[in-house]
Amino acid sequence: MRRLAAEARVFARSTWLQYVALFQWATVRGYFAYKVLLPITQILFFVELGVYATGRQNALYFALGNALQLTANAGIFGVIATVANERQFGTLPLLLASPANRLVTFLSRAAVNVMDGIVTVVVGLGIAIVLFGLDLHHANLALLGVCVVVISVTTAGLGLMFGSIGLVMRDAIIIANVIYYVMLIICGINFPVSRLPVVLQIVSYSLPLTRGVEAARQAAAGASLGHVSGLLAGEVLVGVLWALGGYLVFRALEGWARHGGLQEAY
Amino acid sequence: MTSRAAIEARGLRKTYASNRGVFRREKVERAALRGVDLSIAGGELFGLLGPNGAGKTTMVKIFTTLLLPSSGTATVLGLDAVKDQWTLRRRIGFVFGGERGLYWRLSGLDNLRYFADLYRVPPDVAERRIKELLERLGLAGRERDRVELYSRGMKQRLHLARGLLNDPEVLFLDEPTIGLDPVGARELRVIVRELADAGKTIFLTTHYMFEADAICDRIAVIKSGEIVAEGTPSSIKKAVRDQGVVEFEAVGLPPDRLAGLRGLPGVSSVSVNERELAQLVTVQCTRPADVMTQLGVILDGVRLEKVSSREPTLEDAYVQLIGDESS
Amino acid sequence: MRSLARAALGSFRLAVRLRVVSPWSYLNWLVFPLLFAAVGLYVLGGRGATSSHLVYGVLGGGLIGYWSVAYIDAGNGIQDERWNGTLEQIFATPTPLVVILLGKVLAGLAFGLLSFLPTAALAYFGFHAVLPDLDPWPFVISLAVLTFSFFCIAITLAPLFALWRWAFSMLNGFELGVYVLCGFMFPVAVLASWAQGVAGALAPTWAVRALYASTLSGGPHDYALWWGAVAGLSLAYLVGAYFLYALVEREARVSGELALA
Repeated sequence: MRRLAAEARVFARSTWLQYVALFQWATVRGYFAYKVLLPITQILFFVELGVYATGRQNALYFALGNALQLTANAGIFGVIATVANERQFGTLPLLLASPANRLVTFLSRAAVNVMDGIVTVVVGLGIAIVLFGLDLHHANLALLGVCVVVISVTTAGLGLMFGSIGLVMRDAIIIANVIYYVMLIICGINFPVSRLPVVLQIVSYSLPLTRGVEAARQAAAGASLGHVSGLLAGEVLVGVLWALGGYLVFRALEGWARHGGLQEAY
Repeated sequence: MTSRAAIEARGLRKTYASNRGVFRREKVERAALRGVDLSIAGGELFGLLGPNGAGKTTMVKIFTTLLLPSSGTATVLGLDAVKDQWTLRRRIGFVFGGERGLYWRLSGLDNLRYFADLYRVPPDVAERRIKELLERLGLAGRERDRVELYSRGMKQRLHLARGLLNDPEVLFLDEPTIGLDPVGARELRVIVRELADAGKTIFLTTHYMFEADAICDRIAVIKSGEIVAEGTPSSIKKAVRDQGVVEFEAVGLPPDRLAGLRGLPGVSSVSVNERELAQLVTVQCTRPADVMTQLGVILDGVRLEKVSSREPTLEDAYVQLIGDESS
Repeated sequence: MRSLARAALGSFRLAVRLRVVSPWSYLNWLVFPLLFAAVGLYVLGGRGATSSHLVYGVLGGGLIGYWSVAYIDAGNGIQDERWNGTLEQIFATPTPLVVILLGKVLAGLAFGLLSFLPTAALAYFGFHAVLPDLDPWPFVISLAVLTFSFFCIAITLAPLFALWRWAFSMLNGFELGVYVLCGFMFPVAVLASWAQGVAGALAPTWAVRALYASTLSGGPHDYALWWGAVAGLSLAYLVGAYFLYALVEREARVSGELALA
């Protein structure tokens, strides 16, 4: 019990430090540019594109999809950036040489980005509702909230996998950028997954976000938890598998990097 | 050597202003140069010595038109470094050295060709000169390799080649041997001396006293933005002729005893060098014999070893000019 | 004069070489335009899509890539040198900074134009989308006019980004907003009237309008008006750039911060 409490303390402190370090670089202007302006303009662009292509009645479809995808920004990009920053600032060797519980350290990296993701999607969706006059009267808001939280966690799981790869790869941020935009295409954000070639559909369902977005769309249409529980369970499973894979890669690469001194390389 | 000053500074001052704080921004000023007067004749190899932050690089940047002084004048070859920058840049070269300042993804040859274009050297002249410089600086055969594969010494020589592309009349070298191994550094010093012997005016900054002593015709010592000594190496050594040096090793020397030592008559500076098991204390003074007699009294109870006295070197002169140091 | 032209050409060649060996540059002119083109083609090519919709899918990705390269690669011309540690070295040469940037920006734009190739290929082979009503001469001239507007913007952004770092962050954050206002993937006419007013102050908006008009048989074809608007606005940016360059030169020599990344 005492051991658990100690680990929890480490987790909390580590998460707080991650939060402080994450926004150390961010000035007020930087935060505004990347956390306010970027989400708004992404939603704006895709809603206008979607409305032009398919009609004003579909505005909510595009707004919701893109707002949810924004949480992936924090989950994927944020986690990879956190690990990449550690590599760049040279604190990675220090971490790897420390006796800290690996799992706790590993997960604390994601925790702050999950919270960041939730905030981003709430702000983004709020703005879209105001700008486009979207009607959420029929929505199951509580369930929608659950979907948002689930997606934030599962996309962070994906981020943890690629963050681990960032231990040995110099330009992991490039991967983050590419994945982010690939998910715009294949995760059902702007058009149904069924329109993709079969191969890409398989890839789509093996990624987080896809099932979560479907569940969220149903919640926005008023569905109950029972209707979407299968989707949410699948989303959680996929997220956990990616996080677990990321953790295993983290431990494996840590051992390999120690042999080769690779974490010193830049 | 020609008689007209090739490089001249009159009352040169530079103050940097910066902002501190996030919410309440306060302006902070730092004086890097506080009224410097210098005159360097054509064909001289002049060395500017000083510790980090003394103002050496600031001075070089003003002369090379990269920086505007806050007041005073800086002229090179009779041209104003503030107003005549476009004409002046064609006739001078500079080398800041270090790892940066080159396109590391490209070859040495590509780097040199590009800078030859920027220095507006005609293409046929550029090709010939690049070939000669590569030979002379020991880079021939490696010019097509990417700069990121060069050793530190090779990068420094490439910097020097870049600085000589326009065959400048005046060359500014800012700490050119820093970070080089002893062999590489010596090779570079030989090349620099050869350039001076060929008639170029060279302005060199360094914090290695032996380097200045080895190759410079004249030296100035700068401390906190002011020139504290100027002359030939031997004239500067003469200035500390009446000084002697007492050196000893002490184990566990308390700071208050040091104060007592500093207070002795004739003692001009005391520096302490922390070694692994003991401290090396160097006392500059006018009467070494008196100081040696007093050592036992002032440092009673402290274990002393290897007590000796000697004539001052140029390094001691430098230390005395710069002031007390504990390292 | 000849030596200045040689310097600009040298700068152009160096910038091309650096782009060829740098993995990042491929992201901007190849990968991201393809990804955006794919999304655009899927959305625009859905049920009930018309050929006028698809035209935006064919060209939209290329325009997005072209703009990204123009403002990220070319616009960061001065900042690039600072990050590389070579800004002091090039600043202190007898070649004015703006001449060096001329070569860099042209190199950037040359790569940006390449964005049209993979995106058009994706449109044709992946979605069987073409430009059936293409009018070649107005299309080529509109593309040239667009290039001129991007050139003027990049030349103006370079000193802006060097003086005020936050300006780059802001433009980066607003990137998709530029796609909206300039009508890269859908016509500006669908926006609210106040937004259309803002869009009209941007030179590329008119060039893009002319470009799309040259691929569509219906609608207005006021090429002279649109090209004139681009030229006028772009020249206004250049006037601003003149003052910005003088400011950069002065600021750099006062603060001595050229070496700081």
